[in-house]
Amino acid sequence: MRTFTERSDTRRVDDEPSMPTRYPDQVLEEFAKLAEECSICYQCGTCTSACPSARDLYRGPRRLVRLILAGEIDALFASDDLWRCTECGACTTACRMEIDVASVLARVRALERIHGSIRCPERTAAEAAARRLERHPRIENVLFAAAMAARGHVPRDVVGAAEAGMKIVRTRLPGPKRAATGASPTRPTVTLPFYAGCSLPQDGELHALVHEVAAGFGVRLDEVDAGCCGHPSRGAVPTHFTSDERVWTACPACDASLAEASVDTAPLWDALVERARREGFALRARSASFVPYVGCLADRDKAIAALGDAAELAGVDMQVAYPGLHNACCGALGGMYRGATKGSKRLLEFAAQAGAPVVTPCVLCRDNVRSAARQLRLSVPVYFWPEFFRAAEPPREEASDA
Amino acid sequence: MNDASTRPRVLLCECAGTMTNIDFHRLAAHAAEQADVVRGAHWCGREGQAQLLEIMEAGGERPLVFAGCSADFATRRFQKLMARGLRMEVADIREGCSWVHGDDVDAVTRKAMGLVEAAVRYPSTTAETLSHSTRENTVLIIGGGVAGTQAAAEIAQMGHQVELVERRPFLGGRAARIGSVFPTNDCGQCLPTTDDQAGVRKCFHRNVAIDHPDLHVWRRTTVESVSGRPGDFEVALRRLPNMVTDACVNCGTCETVCPEPASEPGHKAIFHEYYDGRVVRTIDLDACSFCGVCAEACPVEAIDFTQSPERMTVHAGAIVAATGCVPAPDEYVEYLGYGHDGVVTQVELAEMLPAWEEQAALGHMPAREVVMVQCAGSRDRRYLPYCSRLCCMIALKHAMRLKKLFPRMKVTICYLELRTAGIGYENWFLAARRAGVEFLRGTPPEVQFDADGRPVIEVEDVTAARKSVLRPDLVVLSTGLVPPKENTAMAQILGIELDEDGFVEILDRKNRATETTAEGIFVCGSSAGPKALIEVSTEASAVASEVHNFLRSAGRRSTPASVVDEAACVGCDVCSTMCPFNAITLVDRPDDAPRPVEVKDEGKLAVIDEGVCRACGICAANCPELAIAHNQHDEAILGRLATLTDGVERPIVGFYCKECAGAAISLGGQHKDKYPENVRLVELPCLGRVSALHIVEAVRLGAAGVFLAGCAEDRCHYRTGDASAAEQKRVAEELLAEARLAVPLEQWHLCAVDRLSVGRRIRMFAAKATHDDETLAALERELEQLGGHCLSHADVMAGADSTVGVAPCAGCGGGEPVAHVH
Repeated sequence: MRTFTERSDTRRVDDEPSMPTRYPDQVLEEFAKLAEECSICYQCGTCTSACPSARDLYRGPRRLVRLILAGEIDALFASDDLWRCTECGACTTACRMEIDVASVLARVRALERIHGSIRCPERTAAEAAARRLERHPRIENVLFAAAMAARGHVPRDVVGAAEAGMKIVRTRLPGPKRAATGASPTRPTVTLPFYAGCSLPQDGELHALVHEVAAGFGVRLDEVDAGCCGHPSRGAVPTHFTSDERVWTACPACDASLAEASVDTAPLWDALVERARREGFALRARSASFVPYVGCLADRDKAIAALGDAAELAGVDMQVAYPGLHNACCGALGGMYRGATKGSKRLLEFAAQAGAPVVTPCVLCRDNVRSAARQLRLSVPVYFWPEFFRAAEPPREEASDA
Repeated sequence: MNDASTRPRVLLCECAGTMTNIDFHRLAAHAAEQADVVRGAHWCGREGQAQLLEIMEAGGERPLVFAGCSADFATRRFQKLMARGLRMEVADIREGCSWVHGDDVDAVTRKAMGLVEAAVRYPSTTAETLSHSTRENTVLIIGGGVAGTQAAAEIAQMGHQVELVERRPFLGGRAARIGSVFPTNDCGQCLPTTDDQAGVRKCFHRNVAIDHPDLHVWRRTTVESVSGRPGDFEVALRRLPNMVTDACVNCGTCETVCPEPASEPGHKAIFHEYYDGRVVRTIDLDACSFCGVCAEACPVEAIDFTQSPERMTVHAGAIVAATGCVPAPDEYVEYLGYGHDGVVTQVELAEMLPAWEEQAALGHMPAREVVMVQCAGSRDRRYLPYCSRLCCMIALKHAMRLKKLFPRMKVTICYLELRTAGIGYENWFLAARRAGVEFLRGTPPEVQFDADGRPVIEVEDVTAARKSVLRPDLVVLSTGLVPPKENTAMAQILGIELDEDGFVEILDRKNRATETTAEGIFVCGSSAGPKALIEVSTEASAVASEVHNFLRSAGRRSTPASVVDEAACVGCDVCSTMCPFNAITLVDRPDDAPRPVEVKDEGKLAVIDEGVCRACGICAANCPELAIAHNQHDEAILGRLATLTDGVERPIVGFYCKECAGAAISLGGQHKDKYPENVRLVELPCLGRVSALHIVEAVRLGAAGVFLAGCAEDRCHYRTGDASAAEQKRVAEELLAEARLAVPLEQWHLCAVDRLSVGRRIRMFAAKATHDDETLAALERELEQLGGHCLSHADVMAGADSTVGVAPCAGCGGGEPVAHVH
């Protein structure tokens, strides 16, 4: 087999004016291993076709794999697309040659983190997050955004960022506190362990809303404070969960990362819908129809199906064009929001035409798609699940303990 | 040996004085100790041959040993005498001795003496009786598609009786049922006729070649079992009744009155499918209620319900499997939305096209945009890992047809690679591009559907490196082709092997494309892998002549089959599992058979079918009891080894097969590439004949190194000889390591292209085994001078050290080809 050292030696001088970087043997060995794993790739491009982020990538998984095969470490370590992979695994599922593409790219990222110097917001975000996480278990968006801004990365959706910042500041100021977390239960109550992650606690109103909506279903949320979920874009080590019990989450990123760490998690919305179905009560929705949206972090097919279930219980119309439309990239590309994508544009245009709001079970997606709508000047409301669905008012006489 | 009537005769040839480094007086004197020596300057000359003929005719029982050129060379030179019954053992003192050694007359002569003595004392047995003398003149052909029917017609024309067995009621197979076919763009219903006129083709129903008096068609018939041996198979057949007799005039009254629907939509219990001109209608026995309405309605009384299934036996000398292939099952393409409206396969599109043609005539366009997805479920490790070869051309054919019918239709072909390798195929690709068909390199992982149920395809346009979203009205999946599911059962019945994809395994993909792994059983057409009609037709003709040759060449073997010594066989199954031709079976040991002491009353005994055995010797090499006698007996091999190495200081021993390695070594000898005299070579029929015993014995006799040279990798003429040799080499290595006698052992894969390098390879091995650093350094310099090579000393050593054979470089004989990067 040709090794990477040979590749560097045999390159013609006029190929590239500058000398190729010499990497430590360990890196070359790891790349040789990766190349061997990918050697049966025949560049069909099915991975890129499947990649939800690739609509906006210059180099999709296929081209990144090609660079591995060509031994172009320099080019790989210069491609910021590497950091826009969300490890959703669609490429691995689609691969005709059964190559674990997602894992290959993750390993390249691990190498790049040590030996490369890509300057892109996603990587910087991951790096800054990792550093902060060493000290604090949770990312704080205000500080994070400030850190990013200090490095020259101003979010494209400045208005949105300012709004979010103001909101966070408001929750920190003295005044009307968070709504009581245990809104008066009107139904038989169960208690579920709940992991809020890093996004919810920064938006006090939303956080309170989640508790309130859950309470409407007769669900009391017992918050597990277990630190960072360890999402890859944050680059942190998953923290320890002490209990084997299933933990319910409000964020698909938490879901995905905790699953990696073998923690049994599921979206809170599933529990709520399931409870409504079991207890025989309906859901109430904000409007008569909606357009579902699920980003890359969630199990997309399942999450859209779950939205369908909620729609059925609420008696509202879920408007679906074709699945790929409803799981395009929200614009974060797995890292930091970078503006509307072709995918979010198509989604929002569809919603605008249908005259229905977009509903998503992912709080990150909500913010990003909302920003995209603002950027594209499309007046489409974008709702997070609990902002759209609620339990219908229970008939009084039914109240008894389950 | 001293008996005058059996005393061997040695014909000593000096090859017109080209062997100056041999002292022929001394050689003759040595040979005279064992045999009568007749010296000649040039035996293959006119006078020599005349003299040889005299000796042959006067010879009687006296064995002949020819000492001169290699067996390869001598066989060709004495071809005419061979045909007249000349049998002789050959001692190769020319390419194997004189020509490859230097001027040390003493050493070279002593080697020649050893070679002659070994040939005199340890000849291999020759076939005096032929293993089979007659072959049944009947050929059974399974499958009445284009392949089977054409082969049947041609074989019948060649003068053999043909039994053509077809599972369905109608001949014609898949080709007859599909529309137009590439590359001719006409229907697939014609066969070449076998009459005098060149280039004539006719539809099945008009083709009288099928009506040859010696060609018997068995419809609705399946093969139940096969027994017997090549040349004389006994085949049990089961035939379902057709119920509709030949009297049928195709009026269709029966179908009109039939009240029973059949399982296939649109069919009734009495139906017609494809008109092959002989049987018009048939009855679906599962659907028929036997009400008899049709029989009453039939104006010509062609329906006979008294017919019943029958079982018959036919005898056949050869069998041809022509069972074709079928489209991949639906579940392989469900991930691409198959089953949903707006997604069809190419086969279904072909069925739709006639209706679309009519729509086109009315000025309608049934679809605005059509996307064809190539490699749907193919070249995919999760479904079909292989390329079905036809789908690209089918897509081009259909795409062009669509563009012709509907010039404004957008037709996109999503492809991975467009494989248009075939005579004239590339022109189709060109024509399709000209016709405005769009080509998008890339395939989607899924087909999605929008709210209106219209397909949406998201695919990377690989060449443009961007994603495209296509919204066609129709998605056409180019599905692959798979072997029919009945193949497994058929393979079991016929005793043939299937390849990893389930198609019939071909004996040799390069040279014997119509032979299966079982002798006397042949294959043609798509049974052995998807093929276009053009290739199927060629194969049908090819198999016809192969079968003809087989039936006409009774007794073509010149080596006797191996024999099991009943007194030594313990009935283990080593030989029967190792035999590459399934020639060995274990039978219950007859009560009166001799048996080894450890075998008590019950027990098995290995029996070799001499009609199937090809005398490779793999069984003999692997038999743990040395109970199998091969025509190169163990004693003969060990005796040769002892004779050849006698009096040699640290010999290098090489075992080589007489096929590819033999070709390389004897051609290398003619090239006069030198190697040291202490190299002693033992020729075997196949490298599989070598056993650990032989290797250990060579080392015991003082060998400094042993090499085993066989055919090119995976190209053993006896299929598994190289694998067997590798295993025996491993065993020998273990034994030698235990005895602290380890010497370099190597296995090489050679073929005729290595003729220029084999000498150097042997030299290098000898130098390494004897730690001759000087020679090694010289060899390295020699290689450098050959130029273009970047081999370092370390690479040379790594190449030579490797225990598995590496494909040698034709230029230098060492290292991996990859080392030759410039």
